[in-house]
Amino acid sequence: MSTVSLLGLSAALLLAGALVSLVLGGRRKASGWASVGFVGAAGVALWAVVVRTFSAGPDPEVTLLSLPAIGAGFVVSVDCLSAIFLAITGTIGFLTTLYSVEYMTRYRTDSVAKYYPLLQLLFAGIVGVVATGDFVFFLVFWELMTFASFFLVTFEREVRANQRAGFKYFVVNQAATFGMIAAALILWTRSGSFRFSAMRDALGGLVTTQPALAHLVLFLFFMGFATKAGILPMGDWLPDAYPAAPSGATAAFGGTMTKLGVYGLLRVFLYFLPLSPVTRTWGLAIALAGAVSLFVGTLTALKQDDIKRLMSFHVIGQVGYMFLGIGLGLFFLPSNPTLAALGLLAGTFHMINHSLYKSCLFLGAGAVAFRTGTRSLSALGGLRAFMPATAMYALTAALAIAGVPPLNGFASKWLMYATAILGGKAFPLFAVLGIVAMFISLVTLASFLKYLGSAFLGPPSPLRGVREVPASMLVPQAFLALACVVFGLVPAWPLAFVHRALTGLASAASLPRLESLLGDGPGLQAGSDLVRVAFWAPLPIAAALALLGLAAYFLIQRAAGAPVRNVPVWTCGEEAGPELSRYPATSLYLPFKRAFQGIYPSIHLRAPAFPSWLRRAFDLDAWLYLPVARAVEGGARAVSRTHVGIPQVYLLWIVVGAIAVVGIVLAFLG
Amino acid sequence: MNTGLLWTVGLAVLSVALALLLAPLYEGLMRKLKAAIHSRIGPPITQPYLDLFKLLGKEDLRTAGGLLYTAAPALSLGSVLLLALLVPMGARPPFAFAGDIVVLLYVSAISAVLLMLTAFGSGSPYASVGSSREMMMLLSVEPVMVVALVVGALKAGTLATGDIIAWQLEHGPTISMAIAGIAFFLALQAQAGKLPFDIPEADQEIMGGPLIEQSGPRLALFRWAAWSKQFVLAVLLVEVFLPWPGTGVFALDLVLTLVKAFVVLVVVALVDVVNPRLRIDQAMQYYLRVAFSSIAALAFAVIGM
Repeated sequence: MSTVSLLGLSAALLLAGALVSLVLGGRRKASGWASVGFVGAAGVALWAVVVRTFSAGPDPEVTLLSLPAIGAGFVVSVDCLSAIFLAITGTIGFLTTLYSVEYMTRYRTDSVAKYYPLLQLLFAGIVGVVATGDFVFFLVFWELMTFASFFLVTFEREVRANQRAGFKYFVVNQAATFGMIAAALILWTRSGSFRFSAMRDALGGLVTTQPALAHLVLFLFFMGFATKAGILPMGDWLPDAYPAAPSGATAAFGGTMTKLGVYGLLRVFLYFLPLSPVTRTWGLAIALAGAVSLFVGTLTALKQDDIKRLMSFHVIGQVGYMFLGIGLGLFFLPSNPTLAALGLLAGTFHMINHSLYKSCLFLGAGAVAFRTGTRSLSALGGLRAFMPATAMYALTAALAIAGVPPLNGFASKWLMYATAILGGKAFPLFAVLGIVAMFISLVTLASFLKYLGSAFLGPPSPLRGVREVPASMLVPQAFLALACVVFGLVPAWPLAFVHRALTGLASAASLPRLESLLGDGPGLQAGSDLVRVAFWAPLPIAAALALLGLAAYFLIQRAAGAPVRNVPVWTCGEEAGPELSRYPATSLYLPFKRAFQGIYPSIHLRAPAFPSWLRRAFDLDAWLYLPVARAVEGGARAVSRTHVGIPQVYLLWIVVGAIAVVGIVLAFLG
Repeated sequence: MNTGLLWTVGLAVLSVALALLLAPLYEGLMRKLKAAIHSRIGPPITQPYLDLFKLLGKEDLRTAGGLLYTAAPALSLGSVLLLALLVPMGARPPFAFAGDIVVLLYVSAISAVLLMLTAFGSGSPYASVGSSREMMMLLSVEPVMVVALVVGALKAGTLATGDIIAWQLEHGPTISMAIAGIAFFLALQAQAGKLPFDIPEADQEIMGGPLIEQSGPRLALFRWAAWSKQFVLAVLLVEVFLPWPGTGVFALDLVLTLVKAFVVLVVVALVDVVNPRLRIDQAMQYYLRVAFSSIAALAFAVIGM
């Protein structure tokens, strides 16, 4: 089957799934399992597109629908970059839907009819965004995605905070989208077409003739995508909106939707924008924006007590890393192809890694909330004893995001540091940014040690009856955690696909070959053919660590055969229960957190007050239903007052009635 | 087997053996020195070996279970020995093909991560306080080490530890590397857990902090890991920032490195013995200043000095 028909099939499956799950909305599990089936089948179709695109090369563009009046058309265009996003969407989409089946039983009053259909529309929107080659339809799918996710954010209608978060999300993202529409229109006035290739020509012309206007266009695109990705300060909506959605949807947002900001960035700056000095300027801007985001976002995350809010701030921080890597790559693109390739690979690979571990972390946080009913770190503790599998996956993903070698987070961060430090020779600021990024990587570690230490380790919390989550919630976490390990141990494998995706973009077509960049051995040896300057070989390191650790355990620790005894925690002779001797999460790193107080001014976007007459006009209860109901009720009461229950009175009424009837009849006849 | 592989394997075994077997000796010498300054006789130089030997046979009291908690002490020592493979000792590091300075910095943090996870797992509030302090010390110290090593990388244009040293030997001392070396030395004091920066363990206030619930062989392994780490980082310091004269004869270079590392640790012990413990916020401020001062080294490196 061709790419177009496979994509059509997956879209049809997602839409059919939305419909079926809507019809089945009254039956939680049935609706969920139906969605799993449809999303899974769509995922298989998407993976077929991915395999086809990478093995046989991208199919030529197909125009399904043409609107010559405005120069738009529904162009299906899947290149290797799109394919990577399709693979992520197919995988994460399926896993989060599977996870949701059990998770959604948590909501007793809210119907799943407003969850599964929207989740599948969200996936359909994402597929549309990455598979289209025309900006009008790009925006259509972009908006579909925004609408679906808006309703997922405001899923719990009774919670006012969630409503506010959803409103903020909607307003901020719509504003950003309007900017992108303006940018697209500026380009359209030049070329008269919304096709990506035409927009590329138009932008290329602008860069040489009207650089100021070109910068404006790029700025508007950048704002649009950075807002979706969660780059600060535009990403301020993110830590409010993400925790509000059900955990399955949050994981889908973190794993797929945020990443479309990165997709857009790559598409605009590596395809729309021809290689020029402008690329360099914007590379610097993007790198700086990324650095600010990773610094402020991650330090703010350290202070959070709500698990999902903590992780949402880390989304901002991690997106900062991606922007830093891509920014570095763009900066060096005109001058130093080797460093450019390393930076772009780092940013894009980090995006894939982030999809894996952040989805896993959100699912784990959801599992904790599912069993304990709370997301507050101060209220949790000792869950490892009751939820060992969830704890293990959370540990893996947490170490991966903190960049502990040899997990996947380290591989992409290593590439990024290498680019930043080596690029520091040409542009010293980048060395400083690299150092900042390494420092922030430690802050990430601190933050996730707090999560692990407070939720899973330590004395058990007073919560009772906590047990492991069902298998259908564990399998997605297990898969993602395993993927974190595999991508960490053999980074060369995913990097080969990323490299193909990047060189498929017109402005990056002349990047050096992968073997020239990273060597052809199993380990990564960054540099050029002439000189290798950075080394990271995960397999030998992991093997040595395992070997030395085992040797230390069996040849040293167990050699003397010391007896083992389990004892209670020593509290200095004081009889203190776990409630008294707990060290709460809020106390961790207090002096450090104080040092960075006030780094994140929180913005409270208020919903504007509707004009009162308009609200009254919409308030049908007040002026239609209630008055009518009151009139009906009053009338009924008046009638009922005549019913006194005394036979004589009824007889009297009959007599009076009969006389009246006779009188009327006589009057008419006469 | 070709000679290159044989050399790598031999060097790897030697590095691990040195880090494992020589580290307690250095600690013993430091104790002896401290005792001399206190006008005490002090324990024999072999006391750390005896301590380890005794602890390995003692009863292992555990407050928690689980795979990670069980494996953490051994993995912690294993990670420090892995660090020894990435650090040059008289020659290029045996694992030079597998890791550069970035890898080295991250591997050096693994033992701290395992210690903190163990501490949280043990369930003692003192251990949690200790972990919190350990993390804050790491947050303060690691940037200083990063800046110091990045200066070397900037100057040499490579991240490979061996190549940075080769560059140093070729170009001689520079202002930027001197500043970076001093910064790295100041960071070593905290990495070794010596006064005035033994805040995470602070025996007199929080009773060993992260280690409070560790006993017997587990305690022995954590202690051994800490001593080995202090030795390996001292070797790293002298190899990267003071590689001279660099005779090219392996045995001679190795002996020189060990002597220089000893001198560095003597200075660490001297600082330890004449200073009282700082509070955690004071230590953080101190290292913040060190970090910002070491940025000067970056500036010098950029202008080629």
